[in-house]
Amino acid sequence: MLVALDDVALGYDGRPVLEHVSFDIEPGEFVALLGPNGAGKTTLFRGMLGLIPVLSGRITYGFDRRLEPPGYVPQKETLDPIFPLTVAEVVVMGTYARLAPLRPVGRRERALATTCLDRVGLAHLAGHAFWTLSGGQRQRVLIARALAAEPTLLLLDEPTAGIDAGAEAGIMDLISRLNRERGLTVILVSHHLRAVRSLVGTVIWVEDGIVTRGSTAELLAPERLAAVFGGMAIKR
Amino acid sequence: MSALADILRADFLLRDALIGSVLLGLVCPLVGVYFLLRRMIFLGVALPQLSAAGIGLAFLLYSELIGRHEHGVEGERLLALAGAFAITMVGLVTLAALERGGRVMVEARIGTVFAIASAATMLFVAVDPFGEAEMVNLLKGDIIATTRSSLGLLTTVLAMVTGLLFAFRKELLLVSFDREMAIVLGKRAELWDALLYLLIGLTISLGVMNAGPLVTFGFLVVPPLTARLITRRMLTFSLAASALGGSTAFLGFWAAYGLDLPLGPTEVALSGLGLLMVAFVRWAIVWMRAPARE
Repeated sequence: MLVALDDVALGYDGRPVLEHVSFDIEPGEFVALLGPNGAGKTTLFRGMLGLIPVLSGRITYGFDRRLEPPGYVPQKETLDPIFPLTVAEVVVMGTYARLAPLRPVGRRERALATTCLDRVGLAHLAGHAFWTLSGGQRQRVLIARALAAEPTLLLLDEPTAGIDAGAEAGIMDLISRLNRERGLTVILVSHHLRAVRSLVGTVIWVEDGIVTRGSTAELLAPERLAAVFGGMAIKR
Repeated sequence: MSALADILRADFLLRDALIGSVLLGLVCPLVGVYFLLRRMIFLGVALPQLSAAGIGLAFLLYSELIGRHEHGVEGERLLALAGAFAITMVGLVTLAALERGGRVMVEARIGTVFAIASAATMLFVAVDPFGEAEMVNLLKGDIIATTRSSLGLLTTVLAMVTGLLFAFRKELLLVSFDREMAIVLGKRAELWDALLYLLIGLTISLGVMNAGPLVTFGFLVVPPLTARLITRRMLTFSLAASALGGSTAFLGFWAAYGLDLPLGPTEVALSGLGLLMVAFVRWAIVWMRAPARE
């Protein structure tokens, strides 16, 4: 197992939004975290990233988070365009995970950043100003930055939010290739059921404080989507 | 030109003041870059004023608890620095913590702090039984009064601030640009915030003590704003802001000496003029290029 949640409660200011959450994520899985707005999927996502404290229970990682942090792709709107940064400067930030304070960015880190940019098809834009890129290109740069951390687990927050349909397909295809060809475990938050239906193997559905894990075919079946989820807090 | 020749002479009477002024011009923008990037510019107004209130409070407490303080001695400057630094840090940490809470408008909080700090500064001096005109110079900052020993303190602290800003550049940038990413990568975001606040507090305290709130605010904000218009990389942004601040300080000193103008306002006015000129040139370039694209 790569990530295991065992009877976890997550929330804010000590008040739980989600309780009794238990599921495992295996290496190489492609998982979509789905559910209606305000259901708690962002809370679950932030909890798995370690951005909010676990109120009770335990999250276990099958890797050393200090030595091998997960790759994180935030929503691009959370970043401030006031920062004067080139594409290469943004991507190289991913390498900071393995750089101790006082150790400057060296040749290895720059080469890694270039490789990651190449992997997302944007090596030719390394010297461009980050904010002059299109929404889809910026999202690819942020994926390259996450890859520069050399992660085994990649977490993406709404990677296709606010970008056009063409770019959306390209980004989903890129993420899918990273999962298939590089064996990267991927967890993404999305509310685009259609975009993820044909790509992911596992769905974690969050609704009304209840977290349900299942296969795409099972949880995204039209009749299932129409039904109301209830009963058990967790379904393996 | 004789004014320029005068101020460049090795035995120039105000040489220490000139060096102190240029040092502040070089280092304040390096800190100011983070004010701008973290959208904390209003803090740049309130914190220097808080720093001045800290100086007033330190003198008042000294008078009440220990007795009369000597003017013009080294101990007085250290007392002023301690007061300025302590109150600046308290204000900075409190305002930053409240900003995270985000319940009241940021501008309202900072405006209130500015008003209260301004009033408190005057009240502290008025209530202090030993509050005298010389003390007021420390409160409003008088770079001309820079002495060899105060220049030594200024140089040491500002060199340390610059060294730390560059040594931990990647951590400070990451925490400022994408705090969540920094946490995911295992960086102690609150630790790097604390370091940045410490460096901000030290720079502002020294700036206010030596040059006053107006010049400190001017150098914190205007050179980075100007540099942001002409740079697109982080390192060049910081270096350009520093170079603009240092050169403005030098030119301001030259102009103030040659034309017999007050130094602080001359430096800030020149800095503002530089911003206007760069903004105009940038606008003109964009305007000229626009038809060519069509």
